[in-house]
Amino acid sequence: MAGEKTFYQEYEVFSKRTPTASFQHQFSLLAPNEDMAFVLAQENFMRREPVADIWIMNRKHIRGLNEEEKMSLSRIDNKDYRETKGYGYLRKKWREYEQNMLDEKEILGGGGK
Amino acid sequence: MTGVLAMTEEDQMDRFMERIEAGEKIEADDWMPEEYRITLIKLISMHGISEIMGALPEKEWVPKAPSLRRKLGIMAKVQDEMGHGQLLLRVAEDLLKPYGKNRGDIMQDLFNEDLKFHNVFHMETKTWADAGLIGWLVDGAAIITQTDMLKASYGPYARALQRICAEEVFHAQHGEAIIMALAEGTEEQKALIQEALNRWWEALLMFFGPASKSTTGSTKQDATIKYKIRTKTNEDFRQMFFDRYIPRILSLGLTVPDPTLHYDEAEKVWKYAQPDWTEFKKIIRNEGPRSQERLNLRRHSYEHNAWVRDALAAVVN
Amino acid sequence: MSNVENGMSKAYKNAVTALLFQLADDELLYAFRASEWLGLAPHIEEDVASSSIAQDSMGHAVMYYKLLEDLGVGSEDDLAHLRPANERKNSILTERVNGEGYYMETPQYDWAYHVVRSYFYTQAKKAKVDSLCQSSYEPLVEAAMKIRMELYYHRLHWETWFKQLLSSTDVAKEKMQQAIELVMEDFGDMFSFGKDKQAIEENNLLCQEEALKASWKASIAPVFAKLQIEVPEIPETPHLNGRNGEHTKDLESALATLSEVYRIDPAAGW
Repeated sequence: MAGEKTFYQEYEVFSKRTPTASFQHQFSLLAPNEDMAFVLAQENFMRREPVADIWIMNRKHIRGLNEEEKMSLSRIDNKDYRETKGYGYLRKKWREYEQNMLDEKEILGGGGK
Repeated sequence: MTGVLAMTEEDQMDRFMERIEAGEKIEADDWMPEEYRITLIKLISMHGISEIMGALPEKEWVPKAPSLRRKLGIMAKVQDEMGHGQLLLRVAEDLLKPYGKNRGDIMQDLFNEDLKFHNVFHMETKTWADAGLIGWLVDGAAIITQTDMLKASYGPYARALQRICAEEVFHAQHGEAIIMALAEGTEEQKALIQEALNRWWEALLMFFGPASKSTTGSTKQDATIKYKIRTKTNEDFRQMFFDRYIPRILSLGLTVPDPTLHYDEAEKVWKYAQPDWTEFKKIIRNEGPRSQERLNLRRHSYEHNAWVRDALAAVVN
Repeated sequence: MSNVENGMSKAYKNAVTALLFQLADDELLYAFRASEWLGLAPHIEEDVASSSIAQDSMGHAVMYYKLLEDLGVGSEDDLAHLRPANERKNSILTERVNGEGYYMETPQYDWAYHVVRSYFYTQAKKAKVDSLCQSSYEPLVEAAMKIRMELYYHRLHWETWFKQLLSSTDVAKEKMQQAIELVMEDFGDMFSFGKDKQAIEENNLLCQEEALKASWKASIAPVFAKLQIEVPEIPETPHLNGRNGEHTKDLESALATLSEVYRIDPAAGW
């Protein structure tokens, strides 16, 4: 159908289930403009789940990585100094001082009990 | 940038097959061999358009559904079929981009009869029991083939299938509920399901496709297995269908319209009478019982509504 | 406050019943016509989205029929499927076909008509539902509060389509104008309570017909102003009044289709 005028713009749809949730990508749809994309989004992809908010984004505004660029995502598995597993020996050390190591729950639990 | 994109085609192919073998997901913008792209386009556009065409036989029973609750259930089911078509066509459309094609071209391919749709959607739905049987056994058959592809190497297809399969569970139960009500109903209602089963049996066997090329001259199963789009053969699927549904069919007091059907304990397979594969070829050539009527309805409504798409094209911003 | 258990007067019950039939039948027929579009809408994404509205409306019909069932009028499925055309209380607009041709063949459905009918009907429904939230009949208030939640989306949906098609090509504008005329011809009984006017209004089940009309006009006026078209006049007297059981042939064929299977054996489980 060369030359047929089309309204096909691609919109990516994101939504979140609850006000505190993060947005999650759902799928893409074809619509002529944002207003129309909005009235199509929920019933196409979130018919059976709660929705607290919706984002739609014209795909032409999204910059993703190409296959070449995705290679920049690789790294060596030698960075345990960034993670708690690199500090596991502290448990034994604290025991020498007759203290328990604060676990993640206690550290993140704030000041209260 | 140099590297992957500057590789020779042969190196790219090797790397691609390594990724496939390693169970990596291929994405729409990744390099892929032409054969892979074309295999996917054929498979997914046929799958997508089958959903769109598959909405029509059941849609015939939407207004007639015999209670308010059934009317709601079948509306939601047909809506899902259109929704599955939407998901799959979006995946196919992205694959078609390098060829400068879009959804309009897919529709034209259907109308030109270059793009085929599943044999089951060429069949007549004569009674309300057919609507139930489609949900129960046709969707039941589709679940078997679709769940096999949930781990397909092509990421966008696998993700669409995740959404689709989640809804198919509702479809199967919607169909089971209709069948169960009829099975527990009057003699007349029971007769409706037996007649529907008799009508649909061959079509259900055909749904999985021929066991090998020698039967009909072609089957897509080889390329799809090579590229880890699916793992099992047509015959594997058919046997799974028998395992799952024959005991259930019999438990409702129904008779399978194939007196030769039995489980061979020694070979551990179901033996059954082959459906008429010549008829199968005819059906998928759009010479089935309702092929032309349904194509005509789809074509007519598409063309009749062309002004709406033109109108939307004028409000693009 | 009257309810089902504590003896409402016979006159009150009759008024509630009369109104519930009007509300239920409107929703059933609107949903039926909307569902005929399933699989045939001009755009796949719209097919999916508008089907939800058809389902919601059918769901609203179920709520109203259930209230009738609770009043002992009959089972909801019998009420929806078995009543003959001359006992139906839906407005003429909701029973009209979507276009020429039987849905099992190749019907010529008119999308402009669907958009205009849906938009005008949904706004009328909003006027009624807002008023029902203050009804003297408590079960109806509860139903109306729920229905009102879903109307936000229905209105947004049809208003978007209405505005976009009327801001588009000449062909679209012309088709929409024709559709507006057709829809308005049948709008004469939309806000009518028929011969039950006095009973419905005096029992404070719903506000007066004139107030509903004013509310409808006010709700669409800003959209029409933006599109620079005039708000159409509601016919003074309907050519047929569905609220009194007067109907077109379109209703008969709709009823025949929607009850075809149920009628095989209404006593059976389906």
